[in-house]
Formats: sequence, C-alpha cells, structure tokens
Amino acid sequence: MKLTLIDYLIIAVYFLFVITIGYVLKRKIKTGNDFLMSNRNIPLWITSLAFISANLGAQEVLGMAANGVKYGLYTVHFYWLGASLAMIFLGVYMMPFYYGSKARSVPEYLALRYDEKTRGFNAVTFAVMTVFSSGISLYALAMLLKIILGWDFNMSIFIAAGIVLIYTFLGGLTSAVYNEVLQFFLIVLGIAPIVIIGMEKAGGWHGILQHVEASKMHVWKGMASASTNPMGVDAFSLVFGLGFVLAFGYWCTDFLVVQRAMISRSLNEAQRTPIIATIPKILMPAIVIMPGIILLALQSQFKGFNLPTNASGQTDYNMALPVLLSNLYPNGILGVGITALIASFMSGMAGNVTAFNTVFTFDIYQSYIKKKASEKHYLYVGKATTIAGIIISIATAYIARSFNSIMDLLQLVFSFVNAPLFATFFLGMFWKKTTANGAFYGLVSGTLAAALAHGLTTAEGKGGWIYNLHTFYSGTGQAFTIAWIAFVACFIITIIVSLLTKPKSEESLIGLVYSLTPKQKDNSKKWYKNPLILGIIILSITIALNIIFF
Amino acid sequence: MKKLLDLRFVIGLFFFIVGVLLTIYFILNLKQKTNASINIKCGVSFVVFGVIMIFLSYIQEIKEE
Repeated sequence: MKLTLIDYLIIAVYFLFVITIGYVLKRKIKTGNDFLMSNRNIPLWITSLAFISANLGAQEVLGMAANGVKYGLYTVHFYWLGASLAMIFLGVYMMPFYYGSKARSVPEYLALRYDEKTRGFNAVTFAVMTVFSSGISLYALAMLLKIILGWDFNMSIFIAAGIVLIYTFLGGLTSAVYNEVLQFFLIVLGIAPIVIIGMEKAGGWHGILQHVEASKMHVWKGMASASTNPMGVDAFSLVFGLGFVLAFGYWCTDFLVVQRAMISRSLNEAQRTPIIATIPKILMPAIVIMPGIILLALQSQFKGFNLPTNASGQTDYNMALPVLLSNLYPNGILGVGITALIASFMSGMAGNVTAFNTVFTFDIYQSYIKKKASEKHYLYVGKATTIAGIIISIATAYIARSFNSIMDLLQLVFSFVNAPLFATFFLGMFWKKTTANGAFYGLVSGTLAAALAHGLTTAEGKGGWIYNLHTFYSGTGQAFTIAWIAFVACFIITIIVSLLTKPKSEESLIGLVYSLTPKQKDNSKKWYKNPLILGIIILSITIALNIIFF
Repeated sequence: MKKLLDLRFVIGLFFFIVGVLLTIYFILNLKQKTNASINIKCGVSFVVFGVIMIFLSYIQEIKEE
C-alpha cells in the first residue's frame, strides 16, 4: 500500500483540525473542574456520540473486523447482546445514582456508597488499566503503520502521542470529547465506502450468502453447545458471561465510558446519553463487522484477499481491514481510510488518558495526597497528570513491543477487574445492607476467583498456569466463563461478609441506594425525553434484529 | 473563532475540505486509467454532508439569538 500526496494531505488536514480544537477550547479552561469534568456542560448529541466513540478504539475497528472473519455474523453478539441492554440499564437505573450523587467519578461513587479503601482499590486498578490500555493502543497503531505503510515505529509513536498530548493538554476532557465526535464521523464515513464497494464486488448480500459458509451467517443457530458454532461458546456462557456480567461490568462501571454521560447538562440528558448511544451502537456491526464477512466472500472469489500470518505463523485476523483497504481503496479515499484508522487509535488513547487524569486527580491526589487546595492547583495537577499519562503510555507501548503477550494479559486483567466490580455496584445500588467490608472483600475475592479460573483452564494454548482442569473450544468461551465465575464469587462473598458486618445508616445512603432514594417524576410528556420509553423502543429493535438474523 | 466552538461547524468544515480535496483529485486525474469513481462519489457526499453540518450550526445560532 503506497500513499501519495493527496492521502498525506488528508491526514495533515485531520491532524490540523484535532490540534485546532484543543487550541480553541483552551480559552474555556479555567478550573480543574473545567479541565477534568467539562463543567458538566456538554450537549446531549455530543455526549451520546462521545459515549460510543470512547469505545470505538483500535480494538473495536480492527478487532471486530477480525472477529467478523473468525466468527462471522455471531460477532454481532458483542453489540446486540453485549452492549444494548447494559447501556439502557445504565441510563434508566444507574445514571440517577452516578449523576444524582454529584460524584465526579466512578471511584468517588464507591467512596460515597462504601468507604475509602474500596474507592482506593478501584481507583488504582482503573488508573493502571487505563494507561496500559492507552499504551497498547499506541503500540498497535505504530505496528499497523509500520506493517501497512512502512512507517518508522518510533516516529509513529511519538507523532501520535504528541498530537494526543497537545489536544488533551490544551482542551482537557472537552477537547477529547469533541475530537471523539469528529473521529466518530470520520470512522463511519471513512470505512462505510469499503462496505459498499466490497458488497458490490462480492455480488451483494446474495453473493455473500452464496460464498460465505452458512455456519457463519447466523446469530443464534448452533448455540446449544460450544462445539456447534464458530465462537466455541455455549448459550449459557454467552448470555450470562457476555450479555450480563461482561456487558454490564463494562458499560455500567467503566469510568472511561460512564464519564461521557456524567458531563451532561442535566440528569435527564445524562440518562438519555447511553440510551441514545445505543442506536448507533446496534447499527455499528454494519461498519465494523461487515468488512470481515465481506472479506470471507471475496477470498472465495478473488485472489489477493488472503490474510498474512503473524510472527508465530498463525493467520493474522487483525489485518482483515488493512487487506480490504489496500485492495479496494484507490489513493484519495485511501487517505480517508487510513486517517479513520489513525483516528480510532487516537480516540481510544485520548479516552483512556482523560479518564486516567480525572481518576488520578480526584480519587488519588485529592483523596490521599492534598485534600484541600485551590481549583487552580487541581487544574495544574490535571495537566501534569495528562503529561505523565502520555509518557507512561509511550513506555507501555515499548513494553508491549518487547512482550507480545502483554495484550492478552491486559484483556484478562479487564475481565478480572470489571466483572466483579459490577457485582459490587449492583449490590451496592439495589441492596441497602451491603457493607463497605462486604464490597471490598467481595471485590478482592472476585478478582482472585478470576485468576484461579484462568490458572486452572486453557484455551488456544493460554491459561492453565496452575493445572489444566478443562480445555475450552475458544479463548472467547474461556473469557466469558471466567467473567461469570468472578461475578458469582464477588456476589456471594459480598453478601456473606455484609450479613456479618454492620451496614451504614439509611440516612447516609439516600441518593445512593435505589430503595432509599425518592423516585423522580418525569413530567415531560414527550416520549423521546423519557429514558424508559426510549429504552423499551430501542430494546424492541434489538430483539427484532436478533430474530431477523437468528 | 467563536464559530470553532460549535462542533457542528468544525465537523462540517472538516468534511467539506476533505470532500473538496477528493473532488479536485478526481478531476485532476480524469485522463488517467487508474482514476476511480469512488473518489468523486465520496468527495461529493462529504461536501454535501459538510454543508448540511455547517447549515445546522447556523440554524442553531439563529435559534440562540
């Protein structure tokens, strides 16, 4: 793949725009709250698009096309089952507590509901996860640019990190959010033509059905057993592991995404943010998964669409989208496609860095290092943390280069941390007798249970570092199972310890627990302003899609 | 400068510029065999999208005034 002047020009225009956004927004930043929380003043359409854009990083754009090749249409479960219900639940039931409690972050909510040790545990694990994730985005971007364009690894890392640093340092969270929305449109409009051209070349939907093996063109067929579907997952692990534990664990408790709703102008808009975001989310498979399925159809009809192998000799599914780009895009639109890929990496990195600086400043620095300081002081700390976050990300990118397995490790750590965390939140919000000690020991037990489950099982050669008790059909099946084991362990231990310890007084839990919080009356007669009605409509559409593609 | 704080305007301007670049590139390469119609199709679509976004930003401004 060779870029020409027009492609470089498009990339340069994009870089110019993201930096200008940061520069223009700099004038609005006066306090730490402006920098880290956008002063809770962002319109609904922006928060909604930023909500899904924060998740529309490299793993999503490249990874889902890769999964499209590997698992076919079954990959849509990550959207229709693994996102929509959890996002609607967040909007309808959980957002009133996050937003209403005036907490500035997810760990701060944990401090209000439980105690400082639970907040500290979550703040530290989250901060570590975000900078590692940001560094891995950077590493993946540099590797991609090296492989497909022959760009220098070091140069790619420093240019991408430098640009993210400039716009997040200048404009803080608002700048990151504004850029995420621009990146959303760029990713959608930059990749959509590949779906159109690819479909046309493959002979339309009919041609795809003809040339892709039938077992990959369903969503639920063969889910009765892990051995009868390409994902290697059984219905229970899929529904409970992905649809409940992992989905709710990620969408309802991961501050990276929740933060985008928390900066809305009002509670109603904060509630509608994840619900409205569900609409593009359920349609996103057309942009991110379809390229993988189209590639399968093209492979059986034309030469030149085969995937390369990686260093260990296995098929490199992550190259699905780059293979399509190089085969189907001429120069010009190729520049838009490459810019869309760069945007997805930078979006993921900026999202992580802004979540990291908020959690570090409010939940670590302000809580444990300097409790009472001026707003100006926290603004400086936020900015310094942004620089530190980028530097650590660069270091992580180089660590990832040296240790190839670090990506797998990080994915694993995500499921170790997020899955039990949802049990802690769920019990905390809906059972008033949950105690601080119950939450803390539940969280630690859930994380340990996840580690144990991984140590005692293997899948695709991974895990089983204690003893191999069971072998899964796929890594996906193993991840879903570990997630629900971690959730159940956390859930049970939290209940047992809570029953043995003294809960907080009911007065102190008003606004934090469902049964103790006065229900808000929605006086608005407009259906589209009612989170519950909106949620029901979108959920019905999701169910209909599942039936159509059964 | 104030207009640049309106994200609709920024997004519109970005796609308008990229669309114009793609259209000009297509026209300049009309005689070449490798010229691809996808550039003009996307170029025009981006320009239209950009104009709509800029128009929306002005509508919003009028509403606010």
